Amino acid sequence: MRAKIKKEDLVYLFLELKGTHKIIGPKVSNNVIVLSEIDFEDLPLGYRDLQSQGSYKLIKSDESTMFGYSVSADSFKRFLNPPNVEILSFKTSKRGLSFKPLTYQGKPLAFFGIRSCDREALRLYDKVFLEGLERDFYYNSIRQNLILIALNCINPGDNCFCASISTGPEVKGSFDLLITELDDCLLIESGSSFGDRLIKVLPQESVNETHMTKKKLVLEKCMGMFKKKISFNKLPDLIYKNIENPRWQEIAKRDLECGNCTQVCPTCFCSTTYDSVMLNGISKKITEISGRKIRVWDSCFSRNFARVHGGNFRLSRKARYRHWFAHKLAYSLEQFSLPGCVGCGRCITWCPMGIDLTQELEGFSDGE
Amino acid sequence: MASKLIPVVAEIKWIKKESRDTATYALKILDKDVNRDFKYEPGQFSMLSVVGIGEVPISFSSAPTDRDITHTIRIAGDVTTALSKLKVGDLIGVRGPFGRGWPLSELYDREPLIIAGGIGIAPMRSMIREIVNNYDKYFFRRTPVVVYGARTPKDILFRNEFPRYRGFFELILTVDSADPEEYWKGEIGFVTNVIKRLNINPLHTTAFICGPEIMMQSTIKELLLKGVAREKIFLSMERNMNCGIGLCGHCLFGPKFICKDGPVFRYIEVEEFLGIKEL
Ligand SMILES: Cc1cc2nc3c(=O)[nH]c(=O)nc-3n(C[C@H](O)[C@H](O)[C@H](O)COP(=O)(O)OP(=O)(O)OC[C@H]3O[C@@H](n4cnc5c(N)ncnc54)[C@H](O)[C@@H]3O)c2cc1C
Ligand code: SF4
Ligand code: FES
Repeated sequence: MRAKIKKEDLVYLFLELKGTHKIIGPKVSNNVIVLSEIDFEDLPLGYRDLQSQGSYKLIKSDESTMFGYSVSADSFKRFLNPPNVEILSFKTSKRGLSFKPLTYQGKPLAFFGIRSCDREALRLYDKVFLEGLERDFYYNSIRQNLILIALNCINPGDNCFCASISTGPEVKGSFDLLITELDDCLLIESGSSFGDRLIKVLPQESVNETHMTKKKLVLEKCMGMFKKKISFNKLPDLIYKNIENPRWQEIAKRDLECGNCTQVCPTCFCSTTYDSVMLNGISKKITEISGRKIRVWDSCFSRNFARVHGGNFRLSRKARYRHWFAHKLAYSLEQFSLPGCVGCGRCITWCPMGIDLTQELEGFSDGE
Repeated sequence: MASKLIPVVAEIKWIKKESRDTATYALKILDKDVNRDFKYEPGQFSMLSVVGIGEVPISFSSAPTDRDITHTIRIAGDVTTALSKLKVGDLIGVRGPFGRGWPLSELYDREPLIIAGGIGIAPMRSMIREIVNNYDKYFFRRTPVVVYGARTPKDILFRNEFPRYRGFFELILTVDSADPEEYWKGEIGFVTNVIKRLNINPLHTTAFICGPEIMMQSTIKELLLKGVAREKIFLSMERNMNCGIGLCGHCLFGPKFICKDGPVFRYIEVEEFLGIKEL
């Protein structure tokens, strides 16, 4: 099902959804576009973001374009795989020991304005958390009711390079609704029965071939606007060939191992769990305790990540940078048949040292 | 089938001290249905948890054909120390079994060479017991050889069991060093030295190795020099593990998840990565 609506009528979508769903979408906070629970008024309409290596700037322009900005600082992953979440409760008592899984109990989530890069990242997340040997019950408790209102990009950010990995700018993954902004209206396409229901509540006009042609033109124009690219066809071999290249050491000199890149990366999924014993759970008898198993995001840049008793498999900074880089651009392809990089450019923008993986990869290509 | 992300509760049935820092624990899974469905293979592992302290990957040291499920655990850090303080009747959490174990099908009509170093004997014991329990089924071309190296005679695990295996295996024990005061009639020196002198038929040999990575690497070098096929060498790898099932990313070794693609690998699957420092 398809329709076109007036730009300002998008508010009706929010009105319809907000009773039943928690709407997660972009909003301006501290001069940065971030994701948060939002209402229609929160949308950063008319903003433009200027992203470059290690830098981000937001400007307000008075143009009529609604979605001229690009990718938000954080990705949607933190709503599906929260950075800090209780996954199990445990209790020991005279009667024994018990474990209980904990799941998401809130309203179903609706992701508003998820772009192709993040939609592709979600594909990888689903592979990790749902299609592996074991379905992650916590992730599933959110994912199974998730609504996706996707957005085709019309104006890539300066650090975007999805076009060269075929992970954007046009949304190819499944969605409930897909929005494409045309000059005077929004084109809305439905990809599910839930999407059909949503379209029906919007004050809409029917779509004709001109609109579909316009959509094609907008996307074609966008394809021509990318400033960055990656030599995807050389992967993963290029990485394996260079796994012992001394250049890793050279990159490591610039690397602060802050882990920003793994935090903002929409596909990074690593975690660690630990037991947290409740204060009121400790009684005189150590045999009577209760608490929670907590899962937190971890990063392969952290020093303890590959530590084992009596050693550390990745002690040097070089090894940790290489591991991250190789996981994104090589290992992931073998593990999931999907790239671990979707071209969103966040790691370039949010690296305090401005390390740019597209340039670093080129550095390895040069030696060919 | 219940989620393997949720531990089941097991009671410690008995404990046997094996050495100054290592003991074997027999576990009884309390839920009858889970207990009945709990099927594992030699070389696989479980995540054992002491609530409030944490969880660790530990191989099975028993064979599936044994009466009790056992794990043999060496005290290393926090969790293994907490485990060592437990008594018979105490309860722990168990998630598993996880991973790919030893390829028992590779035993048929072959000359198995089992090589263990240190605590690496624990997952090997599972296979050794499997062989003992099903000896005739495998039609060995010759008596399987076990080479086991420990630091000192005191560190040798399962020592009192070995006489029972004599009829089934040619058993070679070696220690890095032995106190002259102690009675020791086994070999002295690294496992690799034993392998060097070993008389094997490389065409018929299938090698299974578990121990410190450096020991496995030098052992493999010797085996290759002897002409053992790369495809007939299996090793069990170790990395930090948190989830055991491909979710947490801790165990990556190049593109391999040690927890689910391994821990047992055919040498050719990891050969290109083994020499790379800090991969
Ligand atoms: C597949 C596999 C099978 C194993 N089988 C056995 C066995 O049969 N018997 C035995 O004694 N030991 C075995 N180990 C090693 C055992 O897991 C570690 O000794 C144990 O995790 C140390 O935990 P800790 O809390 O006592 O030490 P700490 O140093 O306090 O470690 C803290 C945490 O780091 C992680 N960690 C630390 N060392 C290791 C390690 N070597 N491997 C994986 N994770 C680690 C664990 O999550 C651990 O909880 C095995 C390891 C693996 C990967
Ligand atoms: S990487 Fe592509 S899909 Fe993502 S924001 Fe940039 S242009 Fe859009
Ligand atoms: S132990 Fe978590 S992914 Fe292997």
